[in-house]
Amino acid sequence: MSEDKKGMEAQELDDARREFLKHMGIAAGAVALASAPDAEAAVFQEWFQTHYELMSEQEKQEAIARLETRYSEEFGKKTTVSNAPALPGVLFGYALNIQKCIGCRTCVHACVQENNQSRYDPEIQWIKVLKMEKGNFSFSPDKLDKGYPESERLGDYGLQVGGNAYNSVGVSSETERYYEPETVPEDDSFYMPVQCHQCEKPPCVKVCPVRATFRDPSGVVVIDYNWCIGCRMCQLACPYEARRFNWGEPNLPKEEMNPKTHYYGNRPRMKGVMEKCTFCLQRTREGRNPACMEACPVGARKFGNLLDPQSEIRLILATKKVFRYKEEFNTYPKFFYFMD
Amino acid sequence: MNKLTAFIVDFWSYALKGSPKYYAWLGFLSLFMLVGVYTTYRQLTEGMILTGATDEITWELYISNFIFTAHIAAAAILVVIPAFMYQHKGMKDLAVLGEIIALGFVSTGILFVVYHVGRPDRLWHMIPGLGYFNFPNSMLDFDVIVLNVYLIINLVAAYFLLYRRYVDRPVHGFFYRYLIWLAVLWGPLIHIITSAVLASNARMYSWASAVLPFAFLSMAGASGPAIIIIVFLIIRKYTKLQIDNTVIDLLSQIILWSLLVLSLVFAAEFFTVLYPSTHHAASLKFNMFGHNGLDMYVPWFWLIMAAIFGSFAALLFPKIRKSYDLYLPIICVIVFLAVLIEKPVILVFPAFSPSPLGEYTQYYPTFIEYANVLAVWAFGFMTLTVTLKGAVGILTGEVKYIEKAADTVEDAVPAK
Amino acid sequence: MNFQNKSSKLALIVMWGLLITGLGKYGIAFSVEGEEAKAQAVQPVMDCHESRVNGTSVTRVEGVVPQYGYPNIKCSKKTGIVLWYGDPYDGTIPMGQMPAFDDDTKVDFVNAVVKPREPQLMYFNMDPDKHCAVCHNGETVPFPKNKKPRLLAMHQDVVEDSLQLQHGRGAIWCLDCHSAKNRNKLIDHQGSEISFNQPQKLCGKCHGEVYIDWRRGIHGKRSGAWATGGKKRWWVCTECHNPHTVQKHRFEPITPQPAPALPRGMKNADHERSEKHVP
Repeated sequence: MSEDKKGMEAQELDDARREFLKHMGIAAGAVALASAPDAEAAVFQEWFQTHYELMSEQEKQEAIARLETRYSEEFGKKTTVSNAPALPGVLFGYALNIQKCIGCRTCVHACVQENNQSRYDPEIQWIKVLKMEKGNFSFSPDKLDKGYPESERLGDYGLQVGGNAYNSVGVSSETERYYEPETVPEDDSFYMPVQCHQCEKPPCVKVCPVRATFRDPSGVVVIDYNWCIGCRMCQLACPYEARRFNWGEPNLPKEEMNPKTHYYGNRPRMKGVMEKCTFCLQRTREGRNPACMEACPVGARKFGNLLDPQSEIRLILATKKVFRYKEEFNTYPKFFYFMD
Repeated sequence: MNKLTAFIVDFWSYALKGSPKYYAWLGFLSLFMLVGVYTTYRQLTEGMILTGATDEITWELYISNFIFTAHIAAAAILVVIPAFMYQHKGMKDLAVLGEIIALGFVSTGILFVVYHVGRPDRLWHMIPGLGYFNFPNSMLDFDVIVLNVYLIINLVAAYFLLYRRYVDRPVHGFFYRYLIWLAVLWGPLIHIITSAVLASNARMYSWASAVLPFAFLSMAGASGPAIIIIVFLIIRKYTKLQIDNTVIDLLSQIILWSLLVLSLVFAAEFFTVLYPSTHHAASLKFNMFGHNGLDMYVPWFWLIMAAIFGSFAALLFPKIRKSYDLYLPIICVIVFLAVLIEKPVILVFPAFSPSPLGEYTQYYPTFIEYANVLAVWAFGFMTLTVTLKGAVGILTGEVKYIEKAADTVEDAVPAK
Repeated sequence: MNFQNKSSKLALIVMWGLLITGLGKYGIAFSVEGEEAKAQAVQPVMDCHESRVNGTSVTRVEGVVPQYGYPNIKCSKKTGIVLWYGDPYDGTIPMGQMPAFDDDTKVDFVNAVVKPREPQLMYFNMDPDKHCAVCHNGETVPFPKNKKPRLLAMHQDVVEDSLQLQHGRGAIWCLDCHSAKNRNKLIDHQGSEISFNQPQKLCGKCHGEVYIDWRRGIHGKRSGAWATGGKKRWWVCTECHNPHTVQKHRFEPITPQPAPALPRGMKNADHERSEKHVP
């Protein structure tokens, strides 16, 4: 009898344990459901979409339609998200005349007007204008015999380090970017804007764990903003500091939003994804120049098709002194600097 | 109830029971995790703008701590070596403890990576088949593979042995031995891959150097055994598990020789700063001496170097190595903390200055970042504590499979 | 029940609680939308200039590209310079006849448009059709006898001191470019009249290297299409350069746009303004 009782107690314990687990499971499920994403079915479906390049034509249309609905609602104006493919037989190149650049940053702000970046928290600008001082020119004949070691000690054996060492002239390894003088150009400086160089051998593409960033057929390195996981390996790999990250939800005022967008170009991004200059592909794929190029007040920026021998970019490469910035990284960028 | 369920239930119910000190420790860790629930929620909703990371210094405290946990995880497996060198039966138990420690730190590391990524909800994009896995181009993908494989190897090896010990059956040498050897080789491999994740970025001059894998492995060899010694000393004090002094001695010797290699690595790096002093060494110079008024990292640098070289010097003395109650634990804590703090303030943050475009910045972590880091560490230590307790319980024989009367209730004939 | 059982049960409940709270919060986390964009009801800048502050001015007009609701321009709040063009061809006219060469400066100017410079010839609200001829008709202001440099009675706002003309350092004077008899036109050394809308025909006679590069598209600016032969708005010389003050500044310095935001945590940028730039 006592065995039976023990047996029944054991049975009750088993039952009780099963009941408990069942209740916990239901509770967890209820909590999960109650906090499921809001009515926005579009946002929910957007989460499931695959890599844009791997989508079928119909999936692409659906994705575009979802985005257009979402953006139009969010910004209160009819937004188009273009699906325009890369133009055939085109390889985009950019050339910047550092002889002419005055460091006015018009290009920086034109880019921001065109490309729907977050305006504050974080403030994202795709172009950085570097200021390099020509040098403090404190070369002096008084310092000729100063230096290391002092000449008295070694007599005629000469100084190892000259007294005029440590005077910076034309330094590009430390630059200024937060300058804001009354007028530019300042007499003692020259300026060099840097943006994504659209490398032919981009290190950012190589390190992306999910291939969210890749090179499109016309040579522009693009990002699928819905595929990026935000690991920032690309930001680590880029030698030109070209990539920007949306650290928080982007803050883009409605009246500043540009409603003509492209899936890979200037459509508004979301929190936690990378972005960068795309050579304004929403414009260039339709034949128009990038915004920075049109804004430059001194005409320092040139853009064109590297495969067209009559384009101004090819003429520049043929006739001017052209160099690639940080060419030692072997990234073969298509953004050139020249002087005339 | 079958044996596996019994194993799980008995393991956990033993692991969660303990002395008041034990509960105090778990309670202390739970406090950090509780705060962490709130701060994690904030970070998941508002994004990483709540951390101190910027486009200039893009790696934050999470990934710095991840590298450190990878150090420990890689080195924890070293404790397996004495079991097979000395062929001592008791040593084999310690192999399991080493694997459990490795497991704890690998899972902590993976959790840090989840905090580091801007869109953790999109991590499924990396799963081959569902998403796109950029193998073999992306070093991060390599790291994902090796870490997960290491997790699985240790999970299988440790719990398989514990289960067999629980049901009092021997472990067949053949299969198990090769699994252990694989784990021993895999440990340093995960660390070489992690160093490749850093070294593959040519623009980070202080990382893209040939010396980085050796720096990582030697730091692993220093910090891993340090925490293991502390864990073993605690186990020796509070449980019935016997841990021989020879094991502790071997581990402290590993620390000693790792610190020697580390010193050589640092000496090589200092040479490039002090002798030719070119642009390639600019970020190390920034770390050592500051630049134009930005000198946040200078005192930390010298403190850590003093800690590392000082610990090396101290461990040269057998008297200190054998002082199991006083000096050795202190040195181990110093080494552990020195390597931990070295990650953010020497390896990661100063490496971003000067940036490729010539900008110097400093990193200012935020409260939410600290809170999340502490919460993840608390999770890690809690996992470690609980699983070690369960494992020790099984290894000392306190947790054993007992055929309960309830299991045979269906065989009992109901009394009339 | 002894103490240990109760504590272990408590620990179990705490851990479950943490797990569920954490899961629930995680679920909510991804349904919360981004913060509302702060509405800044700031009036857009209406009167803007292009490259040259005193040379050109454009007024913002809404809805110039109705398909996207684009205004014609968007300008800088700080300086008033035009940042962005909704329609790059807004307000342009065809460039007109240009000489054709058979080298790499060969351009088909069929698709070339310019912004006319003639409407800029306004002085004291003069007649918008007669422009300068209102006064320079031979009677109100007599025609000059020769082109020798002398002091001007008026136009000091354009040229401060006509005997110190900042163009060519004394090599040329006003009437070398401005037609003496018809101030609404420019004139070249062969006596041909040149429209103000085509100053390149005059400037290019002396500034040949620059003219060659301008025809190639390397000097100066062309907005619109990037493709060779596409429709482009060519920027003519006087849109960027003021020929009366060029020796002081070839291009007049302008106020820069605001500096970027400092990285989070940094208080100022003093470290980059140091004298020592040595790494």
